[in-house]
Amino acid sequence: MTTNDETTIAPAATAFDVSEFARTAKGFHRDELDLEQFEQHGLEPDAARLLRVLRDLERSTMARMRNLLVTATHKDARVTAFLTTWAYEKFWLADALDAVLEASRAEEDLPADEGHHRLTVSERRDRRGTIRRAISANFAGPQIVAAHVTAGLADEWITHAAYRRLAGIAESLSSVVETVLEVKDRHIRFFQEEAERRLGESPKARRITRKELLGTAWPIGSVERPAEERSFFERIVFGGAEGREEARGIGALISALPGMTAVGSTIEARLVP
Amino acid sequence: MAFDIVKYTRASDAVGWSDLDFDEFERNPLPDHVLRSLRYMCDVEYHTVCYLRDMLTTPSHKEPEIAAFMTMWNREEFWHGEALSAVLERHGIHVDYSALKAKRLKLGFKDRLDPIKQSFGSNLIGIDFAAVHMAWGAANEWSANAAYHRLAALEGADHPVLAELLKRIAQQETKHVAFYATQARERLAKSKKARVIARFALRKFWGPVGSTIAEPDEVTHVMGHLFQGSEGRKLVRGIDAHIARLPGLEGLTIVENSLEARGITGEDREPTPEPEVAAA
Repeated sequence: MTTNDETTIAPAATAFDVSEFARTAKGFHRDELDLEQFEQHGLEPDAARLLRVLRDLERSTMARMRNLLVTATHKDARVTAFLTTWAYEKFWLADALDAVLEASRAEEDLPADEGHHRLTVSERRDRRGTIRRAISANFAGPQIVAAHVTAGLADEWITHAAYRRLAGIAESLSSVVETVLEVKDRHIRFFQEEAERRLGESPKARRITRKELLGTAWPIGSVERPAEERSFFERIVFGGAEGREEARGIGALISALPGMTAVGSTIEARLVP
Repeated sequence: MAFDIVKYTRASDAVGWSDLDFDEFERNPLPDHVLRSLRYMCDVEYHTVCYLRDMLTTPSHKEPEIAAFMTMWNREEFWHGEALSAVLERHGIHVDYSALKAKRLKLGFKDRLDPIKQSFGSNLIGIDFAAVHMAWGAANEWSANAAYHRLAALEGADHPVLAELLKRIAQQETKHVAFYATQARERLAKSKKARVIARFALRKFWGPVGSTIAEPDEVTHVMGHLFQGSEGRKLVRGIDAHIARLPGLEGLTIVENSLEARGITGEDREPTPEPEVAAA
């Protein structure tokens, strides 16, 4: 293994300060939310349904932590320090979205959040259990971290688009969305910096990352979601001319990452309904 | 005795020390044997994420209450690591992410529960393995809580700033104990098979917190420092008594046994300065 393969410690030039991020973590948002307006005016069904999807995605961090921690990623203390705070912040984002849903009482009228799952061949990797994940990650070695941070980055770009769409459907949600995006901004910065550095350093990292991105159901966590809800998500966020434009933008961002040229267009095609 | 998860998550915060006068450590530094124990505790706290990994390999993380607890618990323990590393830093001992990573790579994190899962194999199907995890976690948190209180008592007179910090940490550990013990009690009470497996697992495989990530010499040093002698033994028996009150774990003395196995006894010895090489 080359020394590159062991370089998972951030060099001095790294701009993202994990300690500072941990120190200034943002929790509990309910006090900043104007819940009364949702109690009075409710939410329209599409906005409520998208809000429910996003809440559940933000909530699934422990499942994501599990998938990361059974691999070599758990050995990188800087990354785990980031993930500790990231999980905390996402917990409170989910709580904020939950508070809005609850206040609007819109959830009762939504279609049931259950049903069969999609069984796409290309997503087979994403359906693996912890043991198979751990075994294949063992072969990948420390470079699996590159795949994880890059997938985290692409996921942030996709959910960002979804939040923007949410504010577009329901004006009343714009300040909630603003709060969420502000918190997520630092997550993007960390993932982006780590992804660019790690991909730039190692061909093996690029190879493993391509495989990871192409085998993932987007956004991350979707693999556990009912097929109906996933179709809804793709239709509402990436349907229509504006949505296709969003998807194209995300595809371009992914393609611009070192070694990911061919990956962007495939993910773009999968996002569009 | 219910555990109020909403109250717990909302109150969860990073342990604070900005109001404590850490300059005191420069005027009146901690002795080496104390620093050595603190370093061990700091490592254990930082490695919580490795234990989290263990917990997450059972389906229990899908229960919202457990997921919520794990999120907060993991972060609180991380901050205990940060707090202790800030104390060590004042003594010129620098614990950073690269040092921690080197340790994780060198020692390799041993999944302590693996052999248990292997030895039971398919017999584990259908049992609530979370019951075992929770009993295990409760034993660990009781020990950690006792360790912090003990160190605070030993050093309180000479180093009140350290004692205050340790008390704050222990306060959070008390809440962790409450969660694990409540979960363990309920889950063990429901299943005979879970009781049998938990008893077997703890009796056969449990070891002092940190013994999977630290060198044996370090484990012996810390356990001896904190629990050698009659006072220490009293505390250890207290931990065992708590564990033995969980359903199916009656009569277990795993903590006392694990110390005896390392030569740490209830006999009061003259407090001796730390020898060059720790007794193995």
